[in-house]
Amino acid sequence: MLNITNTFEDGIARCALEGRLDTVTAPELERELRDAIDDATELVLDMEKLDYISSAGLRVLLAAQKAMTGKDGKMKLTGVGDIIMEIFDTTGFSEILTIE
Amino acid sequence: MSEHEAGAVTFALKGRIDSLNAPEMERQLMEQLAGRADAPVEIDASELQYISSAGLRVLLRVKKTNPDMTITGVNSDVYEVLDMTGFTELMTVEKAYRTVSVEGCEEIGRGANGTIYRIDRDNVVKVYNNPDALEDIQHEREVARLALVLGIPTAISYDVVKVGDSYGSVFELLNASSFSKILATEPERMDWCVKEYVDMLRKIHGTLVPEGKLPDVRLTALGWAEFMRDYLPEEAGAKLVALVEAVPHDDHMIHGDYHTKNLELQNDEVLLIDMDTLAVGHPIFELASIYNSFVGYSEYDHEVIRRFQGFDRETGVTFWRKSLAAYLGTANEMKLREVEDKARVVGYTRMIRRSIRRRGLETPEGRAEIDLWKSELLELLERVDALTFDPDELELEAVVENLPYVQEFIDSHLEKTGCPPRAQMQIGLAAEEIFVNIASYAYAPEKGRAKVRVEVSGDPVTVTITFLDRGMPYDPLQKEDPDVTLPAEERDIGGLGILLTKKTMDDVAYEYRDGQNILTLKKKI
Repeated sequence: MLNITNTFEDGIARCALEGRLDTVTAPELERELRDAIDDATELVLDMEKLDYISSAGLRVLLAAQKAMTGKDGKMKLTGVGDIIMEIFDTTGFSEILTIE
Repeated sequence: MSEHEAGAVTFALKGRIDSLNAPEMERQLMEQLAGRADAPVEIDASELQYISSAGLRVLLRVKKTNPDMTITGVNSDVYEVLDMTGFTELMTVEKAYRTVSVEGCEEIGRGANGTIYRIDRDNVVKVYNNPDALEDIQHEREVARLALVLGIPTAISYDVVKVGDSYGSVFELLNASSFSKILATEPERMDWCVKEYVDMLRKIHGTLVPEGKLPDVRLTALGWAEFMRDYLPEEAGAKLVALVEAVPHDDHMIHGDYHTKNLELQNDEVLLIDMDTLAVGHPIFELASIYNSFVGYSEYDHEVIRRFQGFDRETGVTFWRKSLAAYLGTANEMKLREVEDKARVVGYTRMIRRSIRRRGLETPEGRAEIDLWKSELLELLERVDALTFDPDELELEAVVENLPYVQEFIDSHLEKTGCPPRAQMQIGLAAEEIFVNIASYAYAPEKGRAKVRVEVSGDPVTVTITFLDRGMPYDPLQKEDPDVTLPAEERDIGGLGILLTKKTMDDVAYEYRDGQNILTLKKKI
């Protein structure tokens, strides 16, 4: 289960994730992010309530990062917990994503 | 008072036999038996009120010369004396039966071999279908006594009576109400009924039975499977027999007809009342019969269950699903479906055979019902590979949508071990990667099944997760690891999952054996 809460203000799209980002739920996030990527200059992903992320989730993050960079926008992640941070470290994602 | 009959010597005993008149009785008996050693002796005791040890000694002396001895028409007082002194085991003793009518009595239970009626406030009688039921009654008393001694709460009959042309056995059952009646009249007590029903089922299945005391249900089921061979395509029939044969012998008790009409609530105590189908064997045979009672028999005609249990089909299906979940201790839909499928293989086999033997093929409705069950059975035989089930193993269709069930299955095992959240997430990640790989590639473009086994063992505690599938041989560990130092623009999006799996698990191993891909993950926690 993944709950996604979107808000949009002053060109900044904020997206709060809650639950599990896995093979089953990653396509939902991908769909949700499509509009944000089109409309926003900055994308903020709040990961405070995200319990789990698998490689399918990492793929969505990487694709979003590429898309935002491609249109000169920014993307950042907030509230990343230790367990998820460790996965970013293992996969080198902590080097290519902006994590606050 | 005696007369000759062809072969047998008959002799009537009347009134009281004690040390005063026993010598006279012996004299008359011996006169009758002169020159007739070894002839069968039938003693009519229907007018005998009392017999003392002096009288019993005479009978013993007679038995020495004429070992084939039967005493008939014994009243309950005399029967008690014969039973206490062990005479009932030395010779055939037939009781005199009082007559009971069940006209207008409430039917409170119905089993495979008979129907139970309440005859007064405190007593019920089980009337046997088979008119020649004395042996059945004796059998049921013996198994009920055995069950009671082994700790299963049950009622034991205290009297045998005549009911019309049939025999019945009488039990004391005060203030009792069957679980079927509770479900029909107080649906809000469903969850309570499920709990009590499953507690009792666990108690039965946890009871070890001394060898040879009860029949082996597996042999019975093998008979059903053999019977079905004539009605199934050759390959399916052979597989059915092989599936039953492969079930290991099990010395634990099973009830054999465990539905809610056979469970009574008596003053807050739960009692089993129908014991004649008691056996030993693997629980899958019990689950099959439970499935039939609540779901299978009413699959074609939904009204069947109302006629039999007094509640509707929806109640039956819900009761089955809830009871299976409680019995297996899981709400995992895939685990429930896996075990239900195995139960249905045995269940359909039994129902089809029963219907065919009751001339089901001779009516259009019977044929339609058999066809429905048969098509379900054939479909199951294509995918069920074993009738046994294991709480540490989950078998399911390998499709991505089933990932949450795999995750729940693994998580619920890890939670029981007190696995730290970090390790739990890493194991979850690795398991997801492997399962999704199987779901995406092993059988593509077809679909197939996969097995997941979770084992927790050793010191330091190690979690081992094994994935098995029968798809194309493929070793995911051979794939080259992606370069994790590249900038985002140059990163490819594949291979990360296997990389994570290798980095977070203590051991990842692959082998292809017996036509199966076997991938094992190990993690110390």
